[in-house]
Amino acid sequence: MEDAVWKAVQEQCPDAHQVDLLIALPSFNHASTIGSVLKAILAGLNASFANASILIVNADVGSQDGTPDIVKQTVGDLVPVAVIQPLGEGSSASPFALNRLSYSGMPGREEAFRSFFVLTQRLQAKACAVIDANMRSVTAEWMSLLVKPVLESGADYVAPVFRRPRYEGSLTNNLIAPLTRSLYGKRVGCQVGGGYGFSPKMASTLFQKKFLWEGEAARFAIDSWLTTVAVAEGFQVWQARLGAKVQDNKAGAADVATSLVQAVGASYHYMEHYQDVWEKPTASSAVPEIGKPMETEVESTPIHVERMMKGFRQGLRDLLPIWEVILAPETLAGVLALGLKDDDDFRFPLALWVQTVYDFAVAYHEKVIHREHLLRSLMPLYLGRTSSVVLETRGGGPEMVQHTVEQGCQTFEAMKPYLVDRWRFQ
Amino acid sequence: MSEMWQEAMIAAFREMMNRAVLFLPKLMAMVTFLLVGLAVGWLVKLLLMHILKVVRFEVFCERMGLTSALAKGGVKQRMSDLIGRFSFWVVFLFFAFMGVDALDLPATANLMSAILGFLPHVIAAILVGLLGILLANFSGEAVLIAAVNAQIQGARFMANMVRWGVIIFTGAMVLTQLGIAKEIVVAAFSIIFWGNRVGHGHCGGLRRAHDRQRSARAATASRKGRR
Repeated sequence: MEDAVWKAVQEQCPDAHQVDLLIALPSFNHASTIGSVLKAILAGLNASFANASILIVNADVGSQDGTPDIVKQTVGDLVPVAVIQPLGEGSSASPFALNRLSYSGMPGREEAFRSFFVLTQRLQAKACAVIDANMRSVTAEWMSLLVKPVLESGADYVAPVFRRPRYEGSLTNNLIAPLTRSLYGKRVGCQVGGGYGFSPKMASTLFQKKFLWEGEAARFAIDSWLTTVAVAEGFQVWQARLGAKVQDNKAGAADVATSLVQAVGASYHYMEHYQDVWEKPTASSAVPEIGKPMETEVESTPIHVERMMKGFRQGLRDLLPIWEVILAPETLAGVLALGLKDDDDFRFPLALWVQTVYDFAVAYHEKVIHREHLLRSLMPLYLGRTSSVVLETRGGGPEMVQHTVEQGCQTFEAMKPYLVDRWRFQ
Repeated sequence: MSEMWQEAMIAAFREMMNRAVLFLPKLMAMVTFLLVGLAVGWLVKLLLMHILKVVRFEVFCERMGLTSALAKGGVKQRMSDLIGRFSFWVVFLFFAFMGVDALDLPATANLMSAILGFLPHVIAAILVGLLGILLANFSGEAVLIAAVNAQIQGARFMANMVRWGVIIFTGAMVLTQLGIAKEIVVAAFSIIFWGNRVGHGHCGGLRRAHDRQRSARAATASRKGRR
């Protein structure tokens, strides 16, 4: 399999035995955007890495709209370019591929990344940058932001951070990022997609670790676990402030519940694998960042709290027998009490939310019910907490939301002993 | 006369004694079978419960919703206890039937072979029943959570429909497997299935008739308007 990818590159670029930079683009029917993405990349390479030897690789998973042709036309003779079929047999190979597909909107995305990691190893590249072909907001600056920390500062993994309206990414802000921070002691945004930077060390480690690609891990899209694995493995993580994130709508854009299953499921899944790492008490530290500081925006459309509250209340009414199995008695009592509050006075206390997330993690570990059901049953509680955050901060500016998110992170860290105790002695 | 009476009495007594002597070992064999059955049944029960404990069967049952399903049905015992008890009775009955067979009575001739012939059906029925309950709970739970997340108001009703649909279907399969009221089960299913089809068809027909009527009324109204 690895040889097939290497052979395909060698056939198209016979002189490419060793390069400084590998620029990788996974694509699937992205003819409308890939041209502009490539132009921005070429401009960025010209501006920042004019003397470096570069190879652009497009892993196309079966586009029907001529995406690979556009890649070759756009790049021309400026830089060596190869179009490859990703490793493996695409989405049909894994029975869990549908879960991942509905999250990333691209079949074979994981196989494409594995191909890039193999090529980084084979080409002895000093850095690899992966840019999504459906991005409309890629600028020339992205290249230096994603690659320079690897080349000049010893970064192993450069994660993207985007400018977003204050309530966007509430799943990341209220759950994934605080959980990752409390577990592994790194203050990372846990934002996904758009672009990533990898060192050869990180690329080869990810490729070689089979547990990332096989078994239950195959359920989860690569974007949902990259940052978690990077911090858990102790890699040097940086964050690149990439500005706005504008992308074409994904083919199979996932509903919120599916996103939650992917993101939270991946976090819980790797908690089992990295138990030895996160059980140790650690104080969190910030990761280095590169790029211009970004300001949080105010949302352009109003947030409908009523619908979220309705979802929470319906969960309270209908999912109680399931929550009784998952939640600790004191957590359940706290959640039940929330049902008595009026919509205007509704507040989902932060400590209760943290306890809920930790109880779900323990229940996931203990397999008290089917894991997919468990993750999906978290959805109404997440809606309850999100609506509470909106109600608490609606009157304030973006800073107030950031303050609430930071408070959340600190509470997650402070209550970590609760998780460790329950995880060990349940 | 007296001699004849005496001989008849002695012959009858001898006959009786002969029969008793012939029957006593068979009776002893039956008692032995019963005692061995008790001992083996108890051992099998202990062994099985120990294995179930080691493989954390109770946790599995809780996860699959089997424990809660039994609790809803009024069964308060743990699943592993039920299986242990069931295994005891299966083993004991097996030995008891062997004991009855050992008596060699004309009324119980071939009892053992008849029971052994039916045993596979019973085991298959039990397995189908268990799998059916698991599937019913799993599907019901999946539908409930999906419907709640989609904020559909009748989520619990939908989940119950699915759960009971699978349970009823399983019940029918179990009865068919046991050969009980096979014809009635098939007839009941046919009635329900065709009833649904006819009902849907009828509703569809009514809807189409209603649509036709409405469009005819609209056409008349527009003609009147033009006039």
